Amino acid sequence: MVELKDVSVKYSNGVDALDHVSLKINDGDFAFVVGASGAGKSTLIKLLLKEIDATSGKIIVNGYQLNTLKKKEIPALRRTIGIVFQDFRLISSMTVYDNIAFVLRVTDAPVPHIKKRVPYVMNLVGLQEKAKSYPDELSGGEMQRVAIARALVNDPQLLIADEPTGNIDPELSYEIVELLKSINMQGTTVMMVTHEHELVRRFGGRIINITAGQIAFDEIMEGTDNEI
Amino acid sequence: MKFSSIRYLTEQGVENIWKNRMMSFASFCVLLVSLVLVGISILAWQNVSSMIGNVESKNEVIVYLNDNTDQENLNRIEGILRNLPNIASLDFYSKEEAYLALKNRMSDYDVLFESLGDDNPLVDSFRIQIEDISQMSKTISQMESIDGIMNISAPYEFVSFLTQLRTVLTWVMTALIFAMLIVSAVIISNTTKTSVYSRREEIRIMKYVGATNAFIRVPFFIEGMITGFFAGCGALLITWLVYDTVMNILENQATLLNIIGVGSLVTFQQIYLPMTLSYLFGGALIGAAGSAFSTEKYIDA
Repeated sequence: MVELKDVSVKYSNGVDALDHVSLKINDGDFAFVVGASGAGKSTLIKLLLKEIDATSGKIIVNGYQLNTLKKKEIPALRRTIGIVFQDFRLISSMTVYDNIAFVLRVTDAPVPHIKKRVPYVMNLVGLQEKAKSYPDELSGGEMQRVAIARALVNDPQLLIADEPTGNIDPELSYEIVELLKSINMQGTTVMMVTHEHELVRRFGGRIINITAGQIAFDEIMEGTDNEI
Repeated sequence: MKFSSIRYLTEQGVENIWKNRMMSFASFCVLLVSLVLVGISILAWQNVSSMIGNVESKNEVIVYLNDNTDQENLNRIEGILRNLPNIASLDFYSKEEAYLALKNRMSDYDVLFESLGDDNPLVDSFRIQIEDISQMSKTISQMESIDGIMNISAPYEFVSFLTQLRTVLTWVMTALIFAMLIVSAVIISNTTKTSVYSRREEIRIMKYVGATNAFIRVPFFIEGMITGFFAGCGALLITWLVYDTVMNILENQATLLNIIGVGSLVTFQQIYLPMTLSYLFGGALIGAAGSAFSTEKYIDA
């Protein structure tokens, strides 16, 4: 669960990145966060990952009070969150298998669990054949699926996808969103940040629009796919 | 941390050396050159110090006794001299021995000795070696206060020169070794920082997925330690070859050896064990510490 209560972020250069934002995303929700560049979407993600601190307000993520969270507790928080980036951010020197398994190794997971869990998530994103490939041998869509598998492998409570379709073809974008939707159906809370309105219109659901650091609207809309 | 994690991180550290082989090689070379320079400086200082020590040990103070000193007084003076601090050795040299030695040395001047007849103008003496020549003046003052001593001959100027030379050399070599250590540390730190910088994205990803600082640091630490260890091995080999070559050249220089003293050179066999341990542990420690400290900036980011 994600909860922001009257949160503001003011950068040292005087810019108000978020201005008294209150927001709640319940467990099992799927939410699109939309907004123009510089609206505050990236700041929101940085806040949730505890990369930056709020100037004021209260933030709770998966039961962690971020305002009082100690530095040494940050890894524990991040292990409850899966993150997918627009530019994939895979480790180029590792195979697909190792890029995914790496997350479990970080958490000291037992080797038998790693050997069982990694092939399972690779199968889930349709990459079982690419286990031994390196990132630069994959297409954009495949790389993003590896990134999603990596975000999922630790069975996170919350999956944050930051412009996951920004670097891939529109057709593949739908596949990625469908994949995220199916992950959400299995109980994982998903927050997808995007500026692709077409994608949002097509899938619908909860849409949170951030404009100039404020929540412009937070509504549930029907998708055009559903209309068809 | 579980054993499987430790094994994984160790494997990662070893793999990273190969994956980042250019940067690893650069770190290896910098560390190798630094260790060789510092090692050779220390060896040079040890040898110079040993040479000075050798020359020092040849210092001789001659204590001349009053003419016709009887046995009782001679024993008394010897007893006092032996009990003085800073005396390494003491030998009695009778006036008869001195006369004979002088006669042999000046065999071309027999006429001179014939004119003396049975008269021996020389006196009994003690030949004394001082332990710490920097304390020579103090020791001689103590000798001068002994009743029955006619004169004392001591190589004051030579001793003063040696003492000053040792002081100056100690300062110069210490400064040189420290300067080299500092330069080495800066270069190693920068090389490691460059290596870590090239992998900052990897570190960032590790942070995003919840890796602890220890988890991120351990492979870098192991990588640095292994690189440092092998740099230590290489430095040891180079130092040994250079040192042995120099020693072989010096051993063939009879005149030079006579000046500096045959036994004053430190052989590699004498210092083999401390050198090996210092190079291997020093290399591994510097490599590991350099890597660990250089990751700090990106870990805390």
